[in-house]
Amino acid sequence: MAGWRGSRGGGDGGAQSVERVSSSRTVRLGKVQPQAPGHRTVFCNDRDANALAKFKGNSVSTTKYDVFTFLPKGLFEQFRRVANLYFLMISIISCTPVSPVSPITNVLPLSMVLLVSLVKEAWEDWKRFQNDMAINNSSIEVLQDQKWVFTPWKKLQVGDIIKVKQDGFFPADLLFLASTNADGVCYIETANLDGETNLKIRKALEKTWDYVNPEKISEFKGEIQCEQPNNSLYTYTGNLIVDKQSLPLSPNQLLLRGCSLRNTEYIVGAVVFTGHETKVMMNSMKIPSKRSTLEKKLDKLILALFSVLFSMCVLGAIGSGIFINPKYYYLRFENTGRTEKQFNPDNRFVVAILTFFTLITLYSPIIPISLYVSVEMIKFIQSTQFINNDLHMYHAESNTPASARTSNLNEELGQVEYIFSDKTGTLTRNLMEFFKCSIGGEVYGTGVSEIEIKIAQRTGAKVESQKQPHAAREKGFNFDDGRLMQGAWRNEPNPESCKEFFRCLAICHTVLPEGEESPEKIRYQAASPDESALVIAAKNFGFFFYKRSPTTIYVRESHVEKMGKVQDIAYEILNVLEFNSTRKRQSVVCRYPDGRLVLYCKGADTVIYERLADGDGDLRRISREHLEQFGASGLRTLCLAYRNLSPDEYENWNEKYVQAKSSLRDREKKLDEVAELIEKNLILIGCTAIEDKLQEGVPQCIETLSRAGIKIWVLTGDKMETAINIAYACKLISNSMKQFIISSETDDIREIEERGDQVELARFMKELVKNELKRCNEEAQQYLLSESRPKLALVIDGKCLMYALDPSLRVVLLNLSLNCSAVVCCRVSPLQKAQVTSLVKKGANRITLSIGDGANDVSMIQAAHVGVGISGQEGMQAVMASDFAIAQFRFLTELLLVHGRWSYHRICKVVTYFFYKNLMFTLTQFWFTFETGFSGQRFYDDWFQSLYNVIFTALPVIIIGLFDKDVNATLSKKYPELYKEGIRNAFFKWRVVATWAFFAVYQSLVLYYFVVASSNRAMNSAGKMFGLWDVSTMAFTSVVVTVNIRLLMMCNTITRWHHISVGGSILAWFTFVFIYSGFVLPKEQENIYFVIYVLMSTFYFYFTLLLVPVAALFVDFIYLGVQRWFFPYDYQIVQEIHRHEVDNNRIGLLEIGNNDVSPDDARRYAIMQLPGQKSKHTGFAFDSPGYESFFASQAGVYVPQKAWDVARRASMRNRPKPPRKNEIIIYYTILYILFFFLNTYVAFVESMYHIIPQCSNDSY
Amino acid sequence: MSSGDAALQSSSSKASKKPTYSRFTQQELPACKPILTPELIMAAFIFLGITFIPIGLSHLSASDHVVELIDRYDEDCIPVDNSNSEAAYNKRIGYIQDVKTDKTCTRTLIVPKKMKHPIFVYYQLDDFYQNHRRYVKSRNDEQYRNPAADHKTAHCEPESMNNDNQPIVPCGLIAWSLFNDTYSFSVNGNSLPINKKGIAWESDKTHKFGSKVYPKNFQSRSLIGGAKLNESIPLNQQEDLLVWMRTAALPNFRKLYGRIETDLEANEMIKVVINNNYNTYTFKGKKKLVISTTTWIGGKNDFLGKVYITVGGICLFIAVAFISVYLIRPRPLGDPAYLSWNLDPASN
Repeated sequence: MAGWRGSRGGGDGGAQSVERVSSSRTVRLGKVQPQAPGHRTVFCNDRDANALAKFKGNSVSTTKYDVFTFLPKGLFEQFRRVANLYFLMISIISCTPVSPVSPITNVLPLSMVLLVSLVKEAWEDWKRFQNDMAINNSSIEVLQDQKWVFTPWKKLQVGDIIKVKQDGFFPADLLFLASTNADGVCYIETANLDGETNLKIRKALEKTWDYVNPEKISEFKGEIQCEQPNNSLYTYTGNLIVDKQSLPLSPNQLLLRGCSLRNTEYIVGAVVFTGHETKVMMNSMKIPSKRSTLEKKLDKLILALFSVLFSMCVLGAIGSGIFINPKYYYLRFENTGRTEKQFNPDNRFVVAILTFFTLITLYSPIIPISLYVSVEMIKFIQSTQFINNDLHMYHAESNTPASARTSNLNEELGQVEYIFSDKTGTLTRNLMEFFKCSIGGEVYGTGVSEIEIKIAQRTGAKVESQKQPHAAREKGFNFDDGRLMQGAWRNEPNPESCKEFFRCLAICHTVLPEGEESPEKIRYQAASPDESALVIAAKNFGFFFYKRSPTTIYVRESHVEKMGKVQDIAYEILNVLEFNSTRKRQSVVCRYPDGRLVLYCKGADTVIYERLADGDGDLRRISREHLEQFGASGLRTLCLAYRNLSPDEYENWNEKYVQAKSSLRDREKKLDEVAELIEKNLILIGCTAIEDKLQEGVPQCIETLSRAGIKIWVLTGDKMETAINIAYACKLISNSMKQFIISSETDDIREIEERGDQVELARFMKELVKNELKRCNEEAQQYLLSESRPKLALVIDGKCLMYALDPSLRVVLLNLSLNCSAVVCCRVSPLQKAQVTSLVKKGANRITLSIGDGANDVSMIQAAHVGVGISGQEGMQAVMASDFAIAQFRFLTELLLVHGRWSYHRICKVVTYFFYKNLMFTLTQFWFTFETGFSGQRFYDDWFQSLYNVIFTALPVIIIGLFDKDVNATLSKKYPELYKEGIRNAFFKWRVVATWAFFAVYQSLVLYYFVVASSNRAMNSAGKMFGLWDVSTMAFTSVVVTVNIRLLMMCNTITRWHHISVGGSILAWFTFVFIYSGFVLPKEQENIYFVIYVLMSTFYFYFTLLLVPVAALFVDFIYLGVQRWFFPYDYQIVQEIHRHEVDNNRIGLLEIGNNDVSPDDARRYAIMQLPGQKSKHTGFAFDSPGYESFFASQAGVYVPQKAWDVARRASMRNRPKPPRKNEIIIYYTILYILFFFLNTYVAFVESMYHIIPQCSNDSY
Repeated sequence: MSSGDAALQSSSSKASKKPTYSRFTQQELPACKPILTPELIMAAFIFLGITFIPIGLSHLSASDHVVELIDRYDEDCIPVDNSNSEAAYNKRIGYIQDVKTDKTCTRTLIVPKKMKHPIFVYYQLDDFYQNHRRYVKSRNDEQYRNPAADHKTAHCEPESMNNDNQPIVPCGLIAWSLFNDTYSFSVNGNSLPINKKGIAWESDKTHKFGSKVYPKNFQSRSLIGGAKLNESIPLNQQEDLLVWMRTAALPNFRKLYGRIETDLEANEMIKVVINNNYNTYTFKGKKKLVISTTTWIGGKNDFLGKVYITVGGICLFIAVAFISVYLIRPRPLGDPAYLSWNLDPASN
């Protein structure tokens, strides 16, 4: 209601001001946000008037925190994670006397984890802040006192008049008033908004065209009434009131912040939305992030650990209740006022309860606190370093590397079972070429499409594909028929139809010409490649569209009057009824120079046929046949039609149109309704057929993926014939497969359709779909039971799917389709795409991936577990919604089979290892509890326990998460079946977890009892005995060594980083304990004083250190051996098959990218090819290859290779081995230490550094 | 233009976005790829077997050279019958808690083999929870170390202050319950001197206990837990205390009592006069006297040797098992027939 009040009072300034004042008063009095009125009123060039409305400023802040809120807010964010909250609670308990450990034990790891997270947050936020500052302080020219004055962006206010120069960015959402171009148009690039690089045209209202210079514009006193700020980028409704005249505004007059001005000297605009109210900022909401299935399962594992913890504590608590007895007089369990309740034997229940809490704090390390942080870090590096930088996924033609837009889902990529793929632009190139057409019942174009060739190959027929020499070819035009070229169409049976056909192509579109006005040099900017293909076709037929003004289209027509004659004709464009997905058509009303009024329309056959005038059934029938024929050849078709209008009729309609256009509410719906009124009684001209070729490598990719056990479903809006043919062409369906086709294109249905009874139709369809589904399902079951077990394929169209997705039939559909190895859904809407995806995702509980390139795939991409966008083409909407973006469909092989599989393997290893090491560690504590009268005495020193997770076992597991490779990339693709292990989730099943748990229990028993049992006698020849802390330090040393060696045992590849981190971790323990027990520190550590030196003075230490890890691990070793021998995983067999091969992966790498190897790359490659530096780890010489490049690239500094490096390395090979062995050992040791610190440092710097590019992308 | 705009501009720049090659980003770091081949497994197990068994044997033989005498005396040194009855239990407690009775008790031990000096005398307590949380923390090392910190009695409850509210040095339950049985040895009527110096670890003497800290108010309350200390000797010289206060890891533990610096011949009769003061009767613990020699591995300790031999033996056994499996049913390395999709073509 409020929305209309403004426009009613539009002419009346007084009423306006009253309303303004009243609204501002409510704000001031109540401090209550007033009901957002339906519109906002902006007074151009009048800051005082606008001041009352209190619009927000133009300064933008994308930071999450400020100086004061950082700590509270940042900590709050951190404690929203359950693991952190758990440790916070444990830390609090550990401050009470119940705790057996000092608070440091739990506070330290927690604060380390928090510190890392907070530093990362702070760094990211700081980057965002700097970015904001830079943007807020960039300057723009604002009109002040008839002059342009430079002002920073942040000072801009709503209503200001500003000037934006060519290539400048719009600082706020502007109402476009005037431009230096004639006709008040300007061109903008919206790459920052939606990634689309083609220029878009914007047109100012005619009334404001003249306000170009500051003197003139300062007189401008307009009033804008428009919608409230919202996040819809493509809509805008409002009115501009100038001189008591209300003019409708549309998105055409709105210049959005973030876009830039092109091909225009400068423009003048009025600010309507500022700062956070601009459309682009309102769009920058966070999309809810997806969590991987593995991570969800990990939660369950943590939950299981919790219950283990709980039962351990309960057991211990009961024990303590039983144990407590005053007979142990030296423990002084007595009920005096001064005794703690926990040691009061009179109330065993309280004792047990308190001990329960004691034990929780003691066993808290069973929950691996650093697990989430480590996994996050690993995934972050995996996605930013490995996926984003993979040369195999770099598409040279479109200059697009792959990009992981989220790092949450890396391992999900290794478990995908169902791929839902769009067709156009995903399987095909989206490079549209005008290929054939049908005019007036005659087919033109003699080419044979790729798909026809594939079909022919299938049926075994020979195809003669000789090209005629005069075939015209350019990008977007691959038409081969002399009958239409060079004016020859005049001699065809229907020259009039041809003329209309060509004119329709040349006029009915929204293409922008760019560059020189000659047929050779002109470039067309079009929203879709189909459109530009059609305009290019018109050009080739002699109807050259060379110039567009907002009201006119100029066409250079040849051979129309007579052969060889060329004339320029200006068609006045009266209305453009734009294309949208509901209309599926586009119309233009134009006026010929001679006054003839014509409506040209092009669109999908279904919508055009509905709107044709009666009569001429033959043409309709023949054209329909042609359409089907084109469809069967895999071509995309459009129908063209026109209608002559009488001036009266047009005027009548135009009135309604203008009315609809200036309405503030439901403008689009109204416009559609008005368009219906004129788009009728059309006369069919003919249809066009455009070929969209398959993308490179698609059939191979699909074959590989299906060998990997992945089922591919194609969901497309195309016709059934086209879809099936594409499916054949890309080897999704083959003749050996049994096909089930459920189609709505049957005669029965057509009959009912023609009767027009919707209810009857729905009932009939439902029945039909139900029967079909049941029949197919039964048949499928039979096939599955049969001997040969043929593969099955299902083809279903959108209408049938609508009924099949009905809850009652859903199960049948799911059953049927899960048995099929290929499913093609054609004629489906974006919503249905999403429904099908979630049907499989939720119904079958399988892991799904959606891949698409267009806006119609967005819902499907968001619905699937993993969304992949095709980048570097058409629009960016799909990419924006996706989790991963790749340039070509075929890169899916790389993304899934290589990166996904590796990530899955790695994360599984990391998670299970974390589980194992913490469980094992805690269990040793648990066994000790039994021998201390369930008192909860800690076995290890506080610092040992707190650093166990954060230092002594932290790095190696990260290294394995980054570098472990079961088989190399080439083999991953050569044996796609390896991927099935991921689909089966072979590495993170409960069985795997149970195996690890078993070994954790076994090892903890060995580690605890062996150490303890062997230490109760005199320990050296001086007959002295060990105390508790000597024993526990011994046990801890064994634990650290065992756990780190166990890690090495699970590695498939061992790089120098493994050595560094494992060696470094063990070394870190010794370094720590040497220092820690070497000094007497106040409090806390006295027990440990000198312990390690005492230990190391005995033989016992060394023999135990040798025995215990071996005894703990040799069962694991047997297990690994037996597993490999008798129940080998597939990857292990593949490893064995190729065990003697040297990785030659990188040879292929340099061939990618079309030989444009930079000299640096080439030189690096040459260096790496040098002999003696092959694949084996040879030591930690600083000059080993890859070293510089790694560190340098990590530090962001590029260190060029020097020529003498090559020479030196080459000469090194023949140098005799240096004889001084001892020195080498010392050198080795020192390097170990050095590397450890470097390693930590690098890991930190690395994670910090790579946040930066992320930030700059986030700024908008 | 400002940097902000530059940042915006860079997104639309046409520079090549081709990732630069590095071994790290392309995941091609040089690596060795160990494969657990049957040969490797066998070799590893054989290697383990042949290294571990000798180590175990040498341990066992060293342990075998140790002569150890253990005598449990808590039951015999009390004039109460061994029955488990309540009455006997109370009687035992009454006896041990009675300060006035003379609790001397004489035991005779026979040396089984020649024992070379030094011979170590231990006392062993069973079921004594020196590792109980309440016990372990009941000490204050600062007080023990620093003569000026005698008022620091945190954690020492309930043995921190005496009845006059004066701090007890050394405070805490550990010190309070100091073992107070004494042994004196004689062979053939000649008394064997026991050297009680150097029985504590050096680090305890030099750093943990102060040379200027003297016992104060110790065992001055009505409830007496164990031995009293000579108030004129600084703590770090009271080695019995130092040994006692290095709390044991398990409830059954041995502690060094002293050294006999002369050799003992085989079949010699040792007469031990025990002052059976320490109360283990309340909690039904055991008291044992242990006389033992040492070798390079320390006291008699078969455990390590046995485990070494067991692990080595298992390793050898497994190596043999693997070899026989390898001979009977070899799995050719890298046989594609073992790939799951080749085993079960139907699942494909």
